[in-house]
Amino acid sequence: MNVEFSPELEAFRREVAEFFATAPTPAIREAGRKTTSVFAPFDQCMAWHQILYEKGWAAPHWPKEYGGTGWSVEQRFIFAEEYRKADLPPLLPQSLGMVGPLLIDLGTEEQKAKYLPPILKGQDFWAQGYSEPGSGSDLASLSCRAEADGDDYIINGSKIWTTYAHHANRMFMLVRTSTEGKKQAGITFLLLDRMDYPGMEVRPIYGLDGFPEQCEVFFDNVRVPQSGRVGEENQGWSVAKHLLKHERGGGNAASPTLMRYLERARAAACETSSPFGGMLADDPVFQRDFGELEADVTSLSHLEKLAISGHEIARDPAFPSMNKTINSELVQRASVMMSKVSGVGGLARQLEALRVGSNVEPQGSEFDLITMPLYLNSRATTIYAGSNEVQRDLIARSLAAGA
Amino acid sequence: MDFSYSQEQVMLFDSVTRYLEKNYDFDSRKALVASDEPWSANVWAQFAELGLLALPFSEEHGGLGGSISDLVSFSRSFGKHLVIEPFAFAIMLSGAALAASANPRAAEWIEKLASGEAVAAFAYEEGNGTASPELIAMTAQENDAGFVLTGEKRIVIAGGDADVLVVAAKMCATGKVALFFVERSTEGLSTSPFTTIDGRSAANIRFDNVRVGSDAMLLDDASDALDRIIAQALIVLSAEALGAMHALLDITSEYAMTRKQFGQPIAMFQAIAHRLADMKIAYAKALSTLTYTTALANSGAVTARDIHVLKGQLGKLGREIGESAIQVHGGLGLTDELNVGHYHKRLLAYDAMFGDHDYHLRKLGQR
Ligand SMILES: Cc1cc2nc3c(=O)[nH]c(=O)nc-3n(C[C@H](O)[C@H](O)[C@H](O)COP(=O)(O)OP(=O)(O)OC[C@H]3O[C@@H](n4cnc5c(N)ncnc54)[C@H](O)[C@@H]3O)c2cc1C
Repeated sequence: MNVEFSPELEAFRREVAEFFATAPTPAIREAGRKTTSVFAPFDQCMAWHQILYEKGWAAPHWPKEYGGTGWSVEQRFIFAEEYRKADLPPLLPQSLGMVGPLLIDLGTEEQKAKYLPPILKGQDFWAQGYSEPGSGSDLASLSCRAEADGDDYIINGSKIWTTYAHHANRMFMLVRTSTEGKKQAGITFLLLDRMDYPGMEVRPIYGLDGFPEQCEVFFDNVRVPQSGRVGEENQGWSVAKHLLKHERGGGNAASPTLMRYLERARAAACETSSPFGGMLADDPVFQRDFGELEADVTSLSHLEKLAISGHEIARDPAFPSMNKTINSELVQRASVMMSKVSGVGGLARQLEALRVGSNVEPQGSEFDLITMPLYLNSRATTIYAGSNEVQRDLIARSLAAGA
Repeated sequence: MDFSYSQEQVMLFDSVTRYLEKNYDFDSRKALVASDEPWSANVWAQFAELGLLALPFSEEHGGLGGSISDLVSFSRSFGKHLVIEPFAFAIMLSGAALAASANPRAAEWIEKLASGEAVAAFAYEEGNGTASPELIAMTAQENDAGFVLTGEKRIVIAGGDADVLVVAAKMCATGKVALFFVERSTEGLSTSPFTTIDGRSAANIRFDNVRVGSDAMLLDDASDALDRIIAQALIVLSAEALGAMHALLDITSEYAMTRKQFGQPIAMFQAIAHRLADMKIAYAKALSTLTYTTALANSGAVTARDIHVLKGQLGKLGREIGESAIQVHGGLGLTDELNVGHYHKRLLAYDAMFGDHDYHLRKLGQR
């Protein structure tokens, strides 16, 4: 056993840090500091994506032949750590993290040739159309219908919670193509080329933080080509399950982001006085709470490092569920810690000052500006990608199955 | 022992609730928060009409001499309707501070407050969760003509719109916390207004060598009075918080009974059923503590310890209930359109003000 990085890896770390110190524009940096969600501010995020693409670093987790970096797992982890230390906006997960890897695994050669390059370059952005008003946790009950008509499907129904659909130019979705047999057996996986098909409408939904992030998408006799199908008709459930591996496992370590949150909270606590005298950072109860959280985040980082090294823990069938449960709850705890440090400083509603490029001065510090939106937004982490109640059921079931 | 409300209190609650149900539904409230108005002048006038603004003041101040349980009775309804009008701040805090002073000019202001003609703001918080008057850093330097005030007050509810500010500052000469009133037109005030996450109009206010006359002093040693005044206001704010918790419990349990996934209401899943049960338990604790503390305050027996229990418990339990309500609502709980998040934000703001639950629970542990 050995935890040290080689001198070559340390040199790699310096190379990455150097690039991050020089390549991003001021607006991209501002977007990074003002990211209060998994989803960074769209325009600056895509601009940064394109810069990373030019460098060849947009998709470290993709196979080299499709434009990946060919890095070792250690290199990827170092990259993620430096990324967070520089407070840069995280790239959006739907294209690079979900539909891209899915097409690499299951797409036709045509689909790969058409869709992968613009994803890699940061030209296309894909929305994920799974959930429906009546189908959340029980996704297989979905009812948005697609009927075959010549070479096309005609879609009727609606999707909801579709993140950034108002920014997207493409969408992957699940549709019902049959009502016979088991409900999982009548679902088809479709790629939509555009978001502006006749009969298609996207309506943003405003979140607790006051920003539109999710959307509703309506389909009224929308005609799309059947060539956008991935896999066979009525076999979409297994395609979606395959994608889920990328969504939950993702190969994206959460601990560097969490560590960064903790660093920011600690720095702010050094400048905040405690009602018990002295600075908050010197307060023993703060230290205890902070220490407990830091230990948990560190354990997650250990778990992630074991997983990327190929340790057997990552082959446990419950691993994706455990990983999701641990990191989503830590994001929430870290956001609570940050908003506690801000205290009443987080009570101002500051939509304008939060906008990238705004010249409205924040009330309080930039730290105070982000803590409340971050806290409110992170209430979602235990709900999306399979709620934590459902994940705990899966973990328990794996125990019952003797795993 | 009897913890029930009197017939008069039930009537007061009913009339306030009836009025709010008719005029303060969630959509009108939303429109009000989004408008340029800090709050509704009509609603404030109606509160005056119903006697609410005069209720806490003594009869010699021209008030109705209402008790704290009178105030608690209808404040629960304020919480249920997420009222943004600054009752607790203008009347319970600023008004009570004016009433604690023998300064004849204070009496003039009280008359205007009680009739709804003027609004006062309580400039106390300094941005660190100023949990106790001991933590006030703003200074008052005495000179021949009066006092010079220097410092910054933050999250002053109604601070951008009030006619008069009641200001807590430390006297340079004695080191004691004193209270002053400062009229809006006074020179040297720089006000930066905003809306709070729970929809209230607020402001950060800088005092750069603000000069006031010697007749602007309300109390030269206000620590004890402030403790008392804040305690009473916290009972009212806690009643608002309890109203919000009750609403969340109702809304969430009803939603869980009707929302179906996997062919059954989500309330049937044990994970959700137990969460609802915990919400109900939390509500029972909060209700009991508020009711008992109100009764203590009514008989003049409430202590600092009781207030620490009240604010510590309701702050913590309110957050628990709010977070659970969101989780049970799934994606819907994360939307601005639904009232659930708004109740939660009211509870977050309540928890943060005048010392959060950690502070109060720790004070309790220190005794
Ligand atoms: C910020 C955010 C972004 C999202 N982005 C997308 C996106 O881009 N594309 C997309 O398709 N979807 C997206 N979603 C939707 C997300 O996947 C759903 O919200 C999620 O599946 C939960 O569904 P629901 O909201 O309908 O809640 P419900 O399924 O109604 O659940 C409500 C509550 O019941 C509980 N519950 C449900 N079933 C069970 C059970 N069997 N046992 C125990 N408890 C249960 C849940 O845990 C939850 O607490 C997003 C959601 C959010 C909040």
